[in-house]
Amino acid sequence: MREILEKILENKKNSADYIEIRTEKKEITTIRFQGKKLEKINCSQQTGGNVRVLVKGGWGFVSFNQFDDLEEKVREAIEVASLIGKEESKLAIISPVVEIIKRELDKDFRQVSLREKKDLMENYNSIIMKSNPLIQSSNVIYTDRFSTTYFANSEGSYIEQEKPFLSTRFTAIAREGDNVQLASESVGTTKGFKIMERISTKAQKAAFRAVNLLKAQPVEGGEYTVILDQTLGGVFIHEAFGHLSEADFLYEDERMSGLMKLGKKFGSPKLNVVDDGSIPDLLGSAKYDDEGVRTKKNYLIKDGILIGRLHSRETAAKMGEEPTGNARALNYRFKPIVRMTNTYIENGDTPFKDLLSGIKKGIYAKDCYGDMTTFEMFTFSAGEGFKIRDGEIAEPVKDVVLSGNLFSTLLNIEGVGNDLEMIETGGGCGKAGQNPLPVSFGSPHLRIRKVVVGGR
Amino acid sequence: MEKLLQQTCKKVDSDELFKVKSKTIPVNFEVNRLKSIDISESEGKALRVIHNGRIGFSSSTGSEGFDSMVEKAAATSEFGSEASFDFPEETKRSEKEKINIYDKKVVDKGIEEMIKVGEGIIEKVKDFNRKLRCDATIVKDCSEIEYFNSRGGNFSYSKTAIAYSIMVQQIENQDMLMIYSSIESRKDNLELEELTSEIIENLKWGDKIVPIESGKMPVIFTPKAALVLILPIISGLNGKMVLKEISPLAVQKNKKLWSDLLTLYSDGTIDFAAGSAPFDDEGVEMKRVPLVEKGEIKNFYYDLQTAGIAEVESTGNGLRASSQSEPAPGISNLVMEEGRVSFSEMIKDIKEGIIIDQVLGLGQGNIISGAFSNNVQLGYKIEKGKIVGRVKNVMVAGNAIEELKNIAALGNKAKWIEGKYKFPHIHLKSLSVSAKK
Repeated sequence: MREILEKILENKKNSADYIEIRTEKKEITTIRFQGKKLEKINCSQQTGGNVRVLVKGGWGFVSFNQFDDLEEKVREAIEVASLIGKEESKLAIISPVVEIIKRELDKDFRQVSLREKKDLMENYNSIIMKSNPLIQSSNVIYTDRFSTTYFANSEGSYIEQEKPFLSTRFTAIAREGDNVQLASESVGTTKGFKIMERISTKAQKAAFRAVNLLKAQPVEGGEYTVILDQTLGGVFIHEAFGHLSEADFLYEDERMSGLMKLGKKFGSPKLNVVDDGSIPDLLGSAKYDDEGVRTKKNYLIKDGILIGRLHSRETAAKMGEEPTGNARALNYRFKPIVRMTNTYIENGDTPFKDLLSGIKKGIYAKDCYGDMTTFEMFTFSAGEGFKIRDGEIAEPVKDVVLSGNLFSTLLNIEGVGNDLEMIETGGGCGKAGQNPLPVSFGSPHLRIRKVVVGGR
Repeated sequence: MEKLLQQTCKKVDSDELFKVKSKTIPVNFEVNRLKSIDISESEGKALRVIHNGRIGFSSSTGSEGFDSMVEKAAATSEFGSEASFDFPEETKRSEKEKINIYDKKVVDKGIEEMIKVGEGIIEKVKDFNRKLRCDATIVKDCSEIEYFNSRGGNFSYSKTAIAYSIMVQQIENQDMLMIYSSIESRKDNLELEELTSEIIENLKWGDKIVPIESGKMPVIFTPKAALVLILPIISGLNGKMVLKEISPLAVQKNKKLWSDLLTLYSDGTIDFAAGSAPFDDEGVEMKRVPLVEKGEIKNFYYDLQTAGIAEVESTGNGLRASSQSEPAPGISNLVMEEGRVSFSEMIKDIKEGIIIDQVLGLGQGNIISGAFSNNVQLGYKIEKGKIVGRVKNVMVAGNAIEELKNIAALGNKAKWIEGKYKFPHIHLKSLSVSAKK
């Protein structure tokens, strides 16, 4: 692969300001149980690639499944880039790298038979189905994917990276008369099949929660002091705040960059937020991003002050800042854009029970069912909710949907726990149609005042 | 290809191959100017086999050899579901013979011409207010679909599509007003005026922010927001959800459940609609399927396998999420019949209430139960029959199955959404609205 890519780049490098070719091959296995039945078992193979070129500040991008005429694809990309380019190309300078990165797995899933994978999931599925007579149905989805990406650019970089990914998602559906409730648990990892062999407690938990939701009363809508668990806290910092730190969203928009001005107070001094793609083997990790930039630990908020943001080479150059290693592409079908990797709130010093104390009437919201944000507005559906009464966790409530304005909500964080957990689920992050991109996120328990909770 | 499939029958009892080849070109404008042009060429094929009475499946993007696909599919069939159907021996349309989904003008449309359209849209919006930020995408797509099975069924067709979409933002202090809109067709007949006039009307209504109190009140869902109420119904009418008895609608067939005003049908035969095709993705003729008539559930929708288990006929709704997926029950196009009341008359009828145009959290939560709970990302307040301004920090919640029993009126001008849904305005007598103080 290296020789082919380098030869084309050599031939074409003078016809554009920058050229890169990224190709990918992957093998995917999917197994899905629904109710008692094996619903789907599927092996697929994908190969594809893309060419991205920069001409006078304009990007041209061509993606394909057939490799037969790569040079023609480069030509097409240059042609469309020339229709856009009207200024000077700007890319942060990085030194070219040549590196081949292999992954060691804790039980390589490519060596595990289809039957063994199926039997394992069948076992988890029956744990859910047999856990309680009120369980009506289930959904167990297992995916493994081994991809290798090949990256070469006109500056002389050549990087091959192996990217394994495994995930399992358990959904339990409980029913009593017309009352239907569901709960999900999900695990994702890059580390190997061993992790997947040790998650029966997650299957049990999904079933337990779905049955519990049958008894839960809908939450009464209104404004509450809310405690978020590590998952929901992590989702919150990723979705509501993290996306606004992505520089591609800011650099051409004066008003937005005004709202996200470095040095501005975003929260109490207890609040520290980090994005770090260099933590070994987490879902959002890689040694190099999809532009060949080395990943690193980037502080976004330090002591409550906004101090950093996430960049691609282009946004870094345009904003006069350093690249951060955050240009990521879902797959060969997409351009790298500014994305998060592993995003978290650092530990504070308040134990969980101290966060609870003093709350007369509040909500403890756990896990995330779904979320959506648009600029500063966010909505999160909790997977599980409880009332807090006089500092104690009380009865379960359902349909807990939290919503609000990011800026005021961050300022309203009044307690940061000391129990940070990084959450790795099988889901992922979505942006500009690139979904689901593997990421991880995390947080200690958070206490936030004045959160609007929707309800009937 | 048919021959190839018949040969493989030495390895498997019967099989089918579904192939898609497409070229998509989006022209993207960001912050009022041309940002990128992409060319995406894709090829995919999906092989489904029935072997020893069980279903097997494998897929590939192109370069993988056919033999290796057959091998993988045969391997998966060992654990596959029991097949409750056979691949169709013939693929023939009995109803409406020709469905128009291809327009040569789309194929011939040049990239420069698409750039001009985008510039035109942005110019129109900027004419209204220079300070706005506009993002727009003009996209065209040309695809070829081929289907063969070893029992003799086969078809192929080409389709085209073109779509304009726009997102406008106005940021003042900590307030962000964001409005999006899009139009889509398989024919090159889109009017950019339709898009921009809607945006400008919304900008006018949204200029002023007005306070609102929590409570139950009348609500109008615009066609754009109607999916809040309809997604749970789509999910509940899915034959698979019914078969598994997960759907609360499973026991409601032929019973009067909703207002007389509510009539919904799935129809894959509408010319130039996004969900139309002569056949579904497993060779069954696409049809008009009445789902709800005057508030009464008439049909659920099925693919071959689900229909086989349920011992009914496929409704021609076996759709694939991509060229590499197996068929599953899906909606082709969904049409809700119009009512008689104009949008402006609806507004006049409301003393105090809100209009919901865009929401956050669509499709989140426990959809199948009917429950929804959404932040109103773009909504307007009505006072004494007039729109008085935009509301912020408001949530609506309810159960779609229940709320649709309280339709006050349906609009007389349905609108296509995403090229495949056609909805009128929906006026509900009362809905729970919670507002942040």
